[in-house]
Amino acid sequence: MTKAAVGMWTITWRRFRRSRLAVIALVYVGFVALLAIAAPMIANSSKSLIPFGPNDVDAANRLHPPDAQHRFGTDELGRDVLARMIHGARVSLTVGILATAMALVVGSFLGAMAGYYGGAVDWLVSRLIEVVLCFPLLFLALAIVAFFGPSVWTIMIALGLTTWTSEARFVRGEFLRIREMEFAYAARASGARDARIIFRHLLPNALAPVLVSASFGVAYAILTESALSFLGLGVPLPTATWGSILASAKQFIEYAWWLVVFPGVAIFLTVAAFNIIGDRFRDALDPRSE
Amino acid sequence: MLTYVVRRLLYGVLTFFGITIAIFVLVHSVPGDPITFYVGTHGAQSLSRAVLEEIRHEHHLDESLFRQYVWWLRGIVTLDFGNSFIDHRLVTERIAEKMPNTIILNGIAFLVAALLGVPIGLWSAARSGQPVERASAVTTFLLYSLPSFWVALLLMQFFSVRMNFLPLFGMTSDDYLDLNAAMKLVDRAKHLVLPVVTLAYAQLAIFARFSKSALTEVIRQDYIVTARAKGATSGAVLWHHAFRNALIPLITLLGLTLPYLISGSVIVEQIFQWDGIGRLYFDSILTRDYPTVLGLSVATAVATLIASLVADLLYAAADPRIRLETR
Repeated sequence: MTKAAVGMWTITWRRFRRSRLAVIALVYVGFVALLAIAAPMIANSSKSLIPFGPNDVDAANRLHPPDAQHRFGTDELGRDVLARMIHGARVSLTVGILATAMALVVGSFLGAMAGYYGGAVDWLVSRLIEVVLCFPLLFLALAIVAFFGPSVWTIMIALGLTTWTSEARFVRGEFLRIREMEFAYAARASGARDARIIFRHLLPNALAPVLVSASFGVAYAILTESALSFLGLGVPLPTATWGSILASAKQFIEYAWWLVVFPGVAIFLTVAAFNIIGDRFRDALDPRSE
Repeated sequence: MLTYVVRRLLYGVLTFFGITIAIFVLVHSVPGDPITFYVGTHGAQSLSRAVLEEIRHEHHLDESLFRQYVWWLRGIVTLDFGNSFIDHRLVTERIAEKMPNTIILNGIAFLVAALLGVPIGLWSAARSGQPVERASAVTTFLLYSLPSFWVALLLMQFFSVRMNFLPLFGMTSDDYLDLNAAMKLVDRAKHLVLPVVTLAYAQLAIFARFSKSALTEVIRQDYIVTARAKGATSGAVLWHHAFRNALIPLITLLGLTLPYLISGSVIVEQIFQWDGIGRLYFDSILTRDYPTVLGLSVATAVATLIASLVADLLYAAADPRIRLETR
């Protein structure tokens, strides 16, 4: 009897599934993503599930503690915190994913070049990584966002440009390992050009560890985006972000506890979920972890 | 060893040029006339054309990009970052004035994180596979995911607002000057507690994870197995053979944590109104005080470069395998 062939991804998924924490984290991320996508339908007007839009002002109920009407209370302008948080999920996830995608593209490309060609290219990329690592990331991100004008795009570029180094190092390491494998030689022997070998044969095989680093990358990007928003240099107001709710919480820290607690928990859980997914995914990929 | 030192130093010099080029390129890709970097946005609009041309000439802005870079580099090497737009004092003087406050805050946070994080990491690695190890792994992970500005707000809310036990922000109380020497010290210490905790907890998690994986790596080595086979007790093996070797990779954290510390300072100093370089940087960004922003960017990047150089050399001194391996 022959056993059906089981691919690497299936094995990885089976191992990943075994961790209850990882599954909870994955379900949570799916839930937040759903909220983010459906935000305009869930929290929009008096007819939606949460009967407030993110910028609806209830002037009579400023800084109102949580009750049956405003589940998470209201902010200093009388806006519903829950509605703003649901819309804030859009910003956090968009920036997190876009910034990581950018880091992934830049990092994979440079890492692939360094690992595949070695020699002078490798040397140059390694020096470039050294230079980027010398900068405190938040310093650089703040300067880019402030001088080029804060928007989802500048934040994405600022974070992408500062965080690609870990992806580049992972891809480089993987390339150094797999470029000496038989299938790489076979591709070269059958006359494939460099570009084809790199992008069709090697890169897909180097993808798994990069995805681990991407998961950590999303966590880091969400954390930094909310820090930028908190400092007032995030996506401009009145767009609701988790960080900007916390920024107003700071002003009213003496009495509005709900402004501190809810958005903070949201950032923490989302960042933790992405970190846990990355960590367990890495364990699931590691053959030694059996 | 000498070859290694020379090569590492040469790379350091190259990285320095890389840093300056990166900043120069970044500055020159900011939209708008570069003259605003010398006279501010307001100056560029209010000054007469002739005056602007004169300033342009004085700062070599009428020359080629390459020559501009060379002039700028000359300024950096001679530690001349120009004068601040805000109070027209030398940028170096402003940085030097705020630096001690940041060093005190970060130094204490670093020590707290290292002195707690490293033993926790080593301890949980020694208990590999036990529930204690799993629990500490998850805890460090969660600590690492906590946004520092949120932790700061929670600490302020609990210890300052609710318990009225520690000051909300600032470096000293309003009546600081009237206090006697002992009370001055107590007052300063009280103001340090919350910022230090905010800075230290995430680093603590990093130290714990790093030292844990370092010890786990060492325990797998053959000489540990040999020591066990000779009949040494597991405590003796850990103490005499494993710990000391596991501590060596921690040296690299010296260079790696500095930029992380400085990033953290921006947030913490802003929240607690701590008068250090993180806050100076943030204020300069908001007021578009370009000379101060550039000066601080160069200064922090070069500080990190020096820290990682020192870390690499120390590492090579402690572990001969590093300096023998050619890169």
